[in-house]
Amino acid sequence: MFQTAAILVLLATIVGIIVHWFAFPASTECRSEGVVRGLIHVFSLLLIEQRCSLLGALKKLCYIAAAVCFVLLGLTGFWSVVLAGDHISGWPMILHATLAPIFAICLAILAITWAGQNRFEKGDCPWLHRLLRRVTRLALPAQDGPCRCAETSLKVTFWAIMILALPLILSIVLSMLPLFGTHWQDFALAAHGWTALVFAVAVLIHTYLAVRIRLGQ
Amino acid sequence: MRKELILALVVLLALPLAALWAQEEPTPGGLLGDKSDGSRAHPTHLIPLIAEDEDGEKGEQVALDADVVLPFSTKWTCGECHSYNVINHGWHFNALDPNAPAGRPGEPWIYPDHKLGIQIPLSYRDWPGTYKPADIGMTDFRFTKLYGRHFPGGGPGETTATEIDDIGRQYVSGKLEINCLACHNGHFGQDMGGVNGWAVNIAVKENYRWAAAASCEFAAVTGSAAGMTEAYDPFMPEGDADEPAVNYAEHAFDADGNVLLDIVRESPNQRCYYCHSDVFFTDEEGHDEKWAHEEDVHLKAGLTCVDCHRNGIEHDIVRGYPEEIADSNNPLVASTTCQGCHLPEGSDVPEAGRLGAPIPEHVGLPPVHFKRLTCTACHSGPWPDTETTLAKTARAHRLGTPSVNKAKEMLPHIVAPVFADEGGKIAPHKMVWPAFWATEAEGEIKPIALDVVEKSVGDVFAELEIPENGDWPGISTEQVAQALTALSAAVDANAVYVAGGSLYRLVDANNVAEETDHPAAEPYMWPIAHTVRPATQSLGIRYCTDCHSNDEGFFLGAVTVDSPLVSETKITKEQLAFQGLPRFRTKFFAFSFVFRPFFKIVALGASALIAVVLLLFALKALGAVARVLAEDQ
Repeated sequence: MFQTAAILVLLATIVGIIVHWFAFPASTECRSEGVVRGLIHVFSLLLIEQRCSLLGALKKLCYIAAAVCFVLLGLTGFWSVVLAGDHISGWPMILHATLAPIFAICLAILAITWAGQNRFEKGDCPWLHRLLRRVTRLALPAQDGPCRCAETSLKVTFWAIMILALPLILSIVLSMLPLFGTHWQDFALAAHGWTALVFAVAVLIHTYLAVRIRLGQ
Repeated sequence: MRKELILALVVLLALPLAALWAQEEPTPGGLLGDKSDGSRAHPTHLIPLIAEDEDGEKGEQVALDADVVLPFSTKWTCGECHSYNVINHGWHFNALDPNAPAGRPGEPWIYPDHKLGIQIPLSYRDWPGTYKPADIGMTDFRFTKLYGRHFPGGGPGETTATEIDDIGRQYVSGKLEINCLACHNGHFGQDMGGVNGWAVNIAVKENYRWAAAASCEFAAVTGSAAGMTEAYDPFMPEGDADEPAVNYAEHAFDADGNVLLDIVRESPNQRCYYCHSDVFFTDEEGHDEKWAHEEDVHLKAGLTCVDCHRNGIEHDIVRGYPEEIADSNNPLVASTTCQGCHLPEGSDVPEAGRLGAPIPEHVGLPPVHFKRLTCTACHSGPWPDTETTLAKTARAHRLGTPSVNKAKEMLPHIVAPVFADEGGKIAPHKMVWPAFWATEAEGEIKPIALDVVEKSVGDVFAELEIPENGDWPGISTEQVAQALTALSAAVDANAVYVAGGSLYRLVDANNVAEETDHPAAEPYMWPIAHTVRPATQSLGIRYCTDCHSNDEGFFLGAVTVDSPLVSETKITKEQLAFQGLPRFRTKFFAFSFVFRPFFKIVALGASALIAVVLLLFALKALGAVARVLAEDQ
């Protein structure tokens, strides 16, 4: 079931991103060469501004490491499970287990360094503001600005990634401790798989939105 | 005309009835003792003893005052109430039955010969890697003489001899019937291995007809069929002291000439132990005897062998391996496995805890281990050491019989434990490296008959001295070359020698060419199931590095390559070679466990940081909501 679900969800996410890209181009410049520019952005890692400071460089390095780890972890984690329907084993497992703690550290650093700029603010979601005014009848000032959907969604995916990171990491680390029997080990493994799937979707969407926002600037 | 028609009809109807009546194989459940009525009390076996007549049919009741006091026949005595012709299709007796599934390969019979450099696994079953006794020119009669000591009769012991040399001997010795008492005699006087018991009467005296009587507590057998000529008639003895004769204890017979037998359905462990004992040697001083080793944890917990290894009248005994359901009609095979008692699943009603089996939690063990390992890999046999040890078994080394060489080096050499792939899972095995003389034709290797080998190469090895400990005397490659030269001339074909995992071909009179890892020289392995260790002694109980370590024996331990040839250095192979795993990757993975604790600390620390960040911002968000709801903003 996981194999089928993973294939469907990942395919749907990728297809959705591609369709969204062409249906709602990030900028007028993107119609014809947007895909190429988008890819260049991703691969040249211009998703975050280069700040000329040690902290800025470290943050960028951390982001690069996280991105590389994500790709490799995703490949090693999903390859055998999704394509072969078998447990991850052999060199893919060794690579997966080697990169996992690095990814965990990167996620923690990204959480600390990016949490502030991903706080939700007043103008993030005007429709939610309007809903709250209607439902609660509170004297909330009107928010009539344009919906900054991309930025809001980016923040949502950021927090989704951070929230999902906890079960993703803990489901495997706790199973390595002599705490749980076979039933809970199976549960932890399943939880890791499903969490990883949702996590991957969140990361893909987050990356896509980051590219869009960058291209629109 | 009408009368002829009626007669014809009657004959036509009577023929199938007659065929049914003449049928040799009664259906199970046909005799009184074939199926129990449900009472768990033991029936009292106060029964007459019946002998066999000279035609091999049912004879007279054994009487102490008879002219010729014959040994009782289990076939006709026990067969009065229990269908002998059903029982002899059971697992212990059906090795020669081509229709009987061979099942999982098990312990073979091993024929060793020090001076000829032979150690060849034999089996009547189609177990890959074993050879049929006939492949080395061994008749069923000779096989019975060599190995009847440790099987309960029947099988090859009951086949009718066809070789000229054996026909006459078989009339004198009789056939080796199934000895029901070997398993079902509850009396402590059942003598299988004593100087006057079952084993000696078969292996030394060829008293096959008398062996069952010799083994029981109320009869003694004297004399020896082996010492009689083929003209001797056991049904008309002359009263010579050397003639085989049975003397029954008078007190065993009641006034009606019946004997009270202590028959138990559930065989005591001692009966099983006679054929199924083994010992694993270690380098530790004083640890070679059975009292220095623990028994199986199931036995110490109060179970008996037959609590798990059950059967009905068909004697289709449960062997206990997971795939047995494909090979056996015993209804209990699916549930009488490790998993069947300890981790049952798939039933509509609860089945956990059968026979008091604890349900294991396997705390901290990743579930992938259950796909890659058998239960026995972690729970059975000796703890894997950096090198395999020698093992002995009752059947291979005739344990429990007189004058056994107790040295651990006594042939045949069985090495254990070898953790090898068995049907996609790693399991512990015992292993024997075959050594035999053979011919090679079109790539096919066929063993040469023992008598041919003995005649042809006996002179080459005549000077070899067999060590006191029964080890290989050590033969040189030059001697192998000389032997191959003589053999090739004798058999008029390309003679080769298989030993130590290699095939040796003749180059010239003093040289041989060695082909290593030849398929015909592959070791024969059979799974270890017992001795099951307690859970607190299972692999992995301490940490993952019980196996995943470059210092431990599970993956990288040395498996001794046993060979009759003299070698300056001990030849070994890594356990990995038998597991189908890549060496570098396994070593690298084992090395990675050094960093595992740091992995956990880092991952937990990162999780804690992320959790703190989430909590902090969640609290901030909550504060913002609280301010909105308080209408402060």
